[in-house]
Amino acid sequence: MAFFRDAKPAAALAAVLAGLPWASNDFTAYQIALFLVYGMAAQGVALCWGRLGFLSLGHALFFGLGAYLSGGVLRAASNEALWYLLLPLAIAAPALLAYLIARVVFARSTRSGPYFSLITLALTMLGFLAAQQWSGLTGGFNGMADIPELPGTSRYETLYWVIAACAVGSTLALSLLVARPIGVVWEAIAQNEDRLQLLGYATDRIKAMAFAGSALLTSLAGALFAAHQGIVTPQAMGFVLSTELVIWAAVGGKASALGPLLGATIVGYASAELREQLPYWEAAVATLFIGVVLFLPDGVAGLMRRGQAPRRASAGQAKPVRRPFAPAASLALAEVQTGQAGVRILDGLSLGLQGPGIRCIIGPNGAGKTSMFNLITGRLPLRGGNIRLNGHDIGGQPAWRVARQGIGRKMQVPSVFPALSVRENLGLALWAGRAHGTDLLCLATLGWQTPLLTDILGQFQALSEHLDNPAGNLAQGHRQALELAMTLLPEPGIVLLDEPCAGLSPAETHHMIQAIQSLVLRIGAAALLIEHDMSAVDALGGEVYVLHQGRLLEQGPLAQIQASPAVRAIYAGGRK
Amino acid sequence: MDSGTVLHALNLAYELATLALTTLGLAIVFGLLGVMNMAHGEFVMMGAYAAVTVQQWGLPLITAVPLAVVVCGGLGYAVERWLIRPLYARPFDTLLATWALAMLLRKLVEAIFGRGYRNVESALTQPTLVLGSPYPVYRLALIVFTLAVMAGLFFWYRQSAAGLRVRAMTANPILAQALGIPTRRLASQAFVIGVVLAGLSGVLLAPLIRIEPGIGVDYLLDAFFVLVGGLGTLGGLFGGVGIIGGAQAITSSIAGQTSGYAVVLMISIVFLWLKPDGLFSRR
Repeated sequence: MAFFRDAKPAAALAAVLAGLPWASNDFTAYQIALFLVYGMAAQGVALCWGRLGFLSLGHALFFGLGAYLSGGVLRAASNEALWYLLLPLAIAAPALLAYLIARVVFARSTRSGPYFSLITLALTMLGFLAAQQWSGLTGGFNGMADIPELPGTSRYETLYWVIAACAVGSTLALSLLVARPIGVVWEAIAQNEDRLQLLGYATDRIKAMAFAGSALLTSLAGALFAAHQGIVTPQAMGFVLSTELVIWAAVGGKASALGPLLGATIVGYASAELREQLPYWEAAVATLFIGVVLFLPDGVAGLMRRGQAPRRASAGQAKPVRRPFAPAASLALAEVQTGQAGVRILDGLSLGLQGPGIRCIIGPNGAGKTSMFNLITGRLPLRGGNIRLNGHDIGGQPAWRVARQGIGRKMQVPSVFPALSVRENLGLALWAGRAHGTDLLCLATLGWQTPLLTDILGQFQALSEHLDNPAGNLAQGHRQALELAMTLLPEPGIVLLDEPCAGLSPAETHHMIQAIQSLVLRIGAAALLIEHDMSAVDALGGEVYVLHQGRLLEQGPLAQIQASPAVRAIYAGGRK
Repeated sequence: MDSGTVLHALNLAYELATLALTTLGLAIVFGLLGVMNMAHGEFVMMGAYAAVTVQQWGLPLITAVPLAVVVCGGLGYAVERWLIRPLYARPFDTLLATWALAMLLRKLVEAIFGRGYRNVESALTQPTLVLGSPYPVYRLALIVFTLAVMAGLFFWYRQSAAGLRVRAMTANPILAQALGIPTRRLASQAFVIGVVLAGLSGVLLAPLIRIEPGIGVDYLLDAFFVLVGGLGTLGGLFGGVGIIGGAQAITSSIAGQTSGYAVVLMISIVFLWLKPDGLFSRR
């Protein structure tokens, strides 16, 4: 059963934690509990960093907020028990803040680079200042003291079990999530966010949700910290704690559910014990951290894991999947202009197409062919004119919104998710626009099928042979086939194909053209295809558009294009 | 001009000069190599401890300059060679590795010199009269020195053949390599120059500040937030120094040091959010 396989790390942890108080004593268990709390916070950091690929240097903010808020609620509740009702809110509020921060930041720029890390770092430092300054609320430098125990627990005995249960719970939740489709989506964000947007995933929202989830875990850890320590000082929100969370996650293993807990408990506990005795202990920890960054990107957990088992769908009937978009769309570009860094790329291009079938775009280098696709899919700013899909204006919309309205795009250099299996790559395309509600949390979604998928796997034998291999190991031709499949699987009304035959042998080109023809016909899409090879254009048939210097030069059947003096002039050079 | 205004203007100039001085090294490393050197502040700190060391030995302060150059330069070379070079293509990892390096340096200095505050005495702390207001000579010298270093670097970068090679490397490292520019050596030199400048700024600031192993973080953050504005361009650097340093100095004088710091953090967040490519980028 998939559940039991995914629950293994949590079960192992539960066994160890259950035995600990008997193997040692209550006081050691009390001390270990503190590092379990830190470990849960580090699990939050690792979720964003190890799975989605963006590093938060500000998780101490959520830890400290959770600690202060729950500490305040516990104190108030010791007089008036009704306050206990606010405890869940105290834990959830930092997560809400995290969601808002991430939405606002990622809406501006979805890039997850070091800038996001620096913003979170600055926010933490601001939080630290606030905690020090607002001494009326937080107790200032001396901290918020005399926080009572959680009701029904005693700090030095039974609280350990609450914390251990939370740690097992968080490990279980994380292991289950990453084994599900949402885990695939998270990893895809880390590997190739642009491709994911072109499939119609709103990556900024997915990242904001994950950030909020990780903040929730960290804030829960903060609440447990308040109950465990009985005092919260500004250090619980500080720069140093943020640093330590990152180090524990890195040393333990940022891409594993158990790793950060291990890192925090081992490094943290050892530090607490040895810091006083060995003067160079902290320098040794820093050296260990350098070594991990250089040589062990997946930390200690990465050493222990031997070849991750592939994700498997649960047995059961796959959900019948409806077709998300209406076929036979129309696309019209009117007088569009775009440019970058002062260079005008498209200069009043007008072009329209309606109904199913394949059209080819040709034109010399720099004519603006790929830029036209970039403009339609929201990669370049629209500086004039408009773009209409089925009569609706889609100009200037972000890539994922355009994709959701039924425009699929294949890149010039095949763009796939290299570390995900071919099956998962195809799955991501299949779920785009079809997965609703909790579908991404269900194992059954991993087994979704459509007739088109069966057809594609029949046409490209190589893909069905390599279903469980990483897409990055595919040969160029097979990668082109995979990306074509990913572009077509959402069954979009408009398909933009940028040189799908680039880098293919003549035999592969022939096969690819036949596949494109039959698959596009099958989904009834209108396809625009950029191609340089005239024999391929001839084989594909249909209308041909010639672009030159950012405008449409000529349009018509290939024979008419080949006879056109204007086209001949730009290709062979000519005089008027 | 009354003496109060002169004093305020000089203080502002001094604040901006120290900010520019401590930022310059980071600007070189980040602007030319794209490396976020989180250990930058620790190199400033080590420069300050070079001054502490020569004072302990009973040598004049000026001898801290060669000491800082040798220590920071040697360490910088080793760090670039064995820590940064394997990680150039992985921005998060360089950030983390240099962060770990910062911790290591901080803890080593702490283990050697202890946690307590140190002071460095300088002969030049007597005031002189500027437009009728008394002002410490050392601070004036610092302002002049900073201007000279920045002007010198600017002309070197813009006018010299070496500067041209560096600009070529920044614009397109692979093409620069194909043209026979030794980008590895150049990158190594740029990193060493950057951290040596950090060390020198530490020596220069030593007589003016209280020195302890943790001071690096403050310089690092200020420098980063300045860089946010400029990302390595000189115009951006001036803009960043002006905005960040000016806002901090003004807010601090009105509402206290903590508020000044909070304002810097808030400005930085807004910069990072709205202008992730730098204040003066064309994108």
